Amino acid sequence: MRFRALSLAALASLSVVGIGWQMGAQLTASQQTLSAVPVAPAAHTGTAATVPNPTALGPAAPAATGSPAATTAPAAPAGAASGTFDGSVVQTRFGPVQVSVTIASGSITEVTALQLTNDGGRSVMISNQAAPILRSEVLTAQSAQVQNVSGATYTTHGYLTSLQAALDAAQF
Amino acid sequence: MPRSSNRPGGVAQNVNPAGPPNGDGGSGAITLRSMGTVLSIRFGGPVAPELGAQAREAVGSVFASWDTRFSLYRDDSELSRINRGELRLTQASPILRDCYAAALDWRDRTDGVFTPHRADGVLDLSGVVKALAIDEAGGALRGLGLVNWSLNAGGDILVAGDQAPGLDWVAGLVDPDDRGRTLAAVPLALPLRAVATSGSAERGDHIWTAVGDGASPYRQVSVFARDIVTADVLATTIVAGGEAALARSTETWPIEVLAVLRDSSLLATAGLRADRD
Repeated sequence: MRFRALSLAALASLSVVGIGWQMGAQLTASQQTLSAVPVAPAAHTGTAATVPNPTALGPAAPAATGSPAATTAPAAPAGAASGTFDGSVVQTRFGPVQVSVTIASGSITEVTALQLTNDGGRSVMISNQAAPILRSEVLTAQSAQVQNVSGATYTTHGYLTSLQAALDAAQF
Repeated sequence: MPRSSNRPGGVAQNVNPAGPPNGDGGSGAITLRSMGTVLSIRFGGPVAPELGAQAREAVGSVFASWDTRFSLYRDDSELSRINRGELRLTQASPILRDCYAAALDWRDRTDGVFTPHRADGVLDLSGVVKALAIDEAGGALRGLGLVNWSLNAGGDILVAGDQAPGLDWVAGLVDPDDRGRTLAAVPLALPLRAVATSGSAERGDHIWTAVGDGASPYRQVSVFARDIVTADVLATTIVAGGEAALARSTETWPIEVLAVLRDSSLLATAGLRADRD
């Protein structure tokens, strides 16, 4: 269970990295810290992103996608598409999550969790613990028409005076 | 305009002795009695009267089958015979033994808080039987080709599909301080399609194990889970096992929980907060 939660969290973060990657230079330095120089992944066909020039990284030109003319990514030289990329911190219901992805020759070779919980080392699921909440803070679905009511098991007799009986009899 | 198509005319048998509230006999749900409580079946769209009748029949027969075998209120049930020593567990039906095995499995998974062994020595499987019946009844509805439905058995709810195209079924959680009100209205969105609520006041026979000093800190606990058995067992477990069981359950299973404490204050997991995201 913990592994699955970790995997999902890592995947979510990874997808953020992936999206940022595709958008190339749109990533700003504030969103992503590069611990190694990113080089273009093996050339994308179709929607090619501009090569994120390491020195130009920051709020640079937006990625040109969908235009063949903008295909500036050269075929990746051997060993060029590599580096370690730290994803941005993503807030999940289990706490902040951040991963680091190592890429070699355009392939992801390693995904490492940099930050997983509020409280390092503890289970990510621990953040799902029930916490005090005011009645006014409890989820009440918008425009919700309740069809069923959950409550401690009612007897046949108890049903007759229950909210559920009213709902069941209602014309909707 | 009433969605009268939801209820096949002439099929629904409203248990309200006062009869249907409207002249046309309409009702939003098919209701039937079983296991000492009332079952409510709803459909998320028009269903032909014949199909509605088949659904009612299928659900009713599933519940009757479980009740006949496991009810401790029936002297002639298989479980009553086992408790009287007339039948050995080794001679019991495979269904009963499977059910017992499932209860023992839950006992292990809840550190013994949930148990089919009552303090007085009686083997009581009611902690899993109703949920298993709901689960099987849901399968029966699917088997009829129904994809949008909700099934409420005495306050434990399982849903499938939508209540209306693109709209999730919404479950209200009853306020134990005022049973005419709800504390929350929660969409039963994927993946949590089931909710069960246990209380320490009503139907006390449902909670057998008192951990610690015997008084649960929780008057009512609602658990949302992927399946109705997990929801029902964990709701019971948390009421019986108190804070430790609550913490362990939320750590171990992908569930959402709303607990009402003795002083009427609330505890909730993040997914039940109105301000999430």
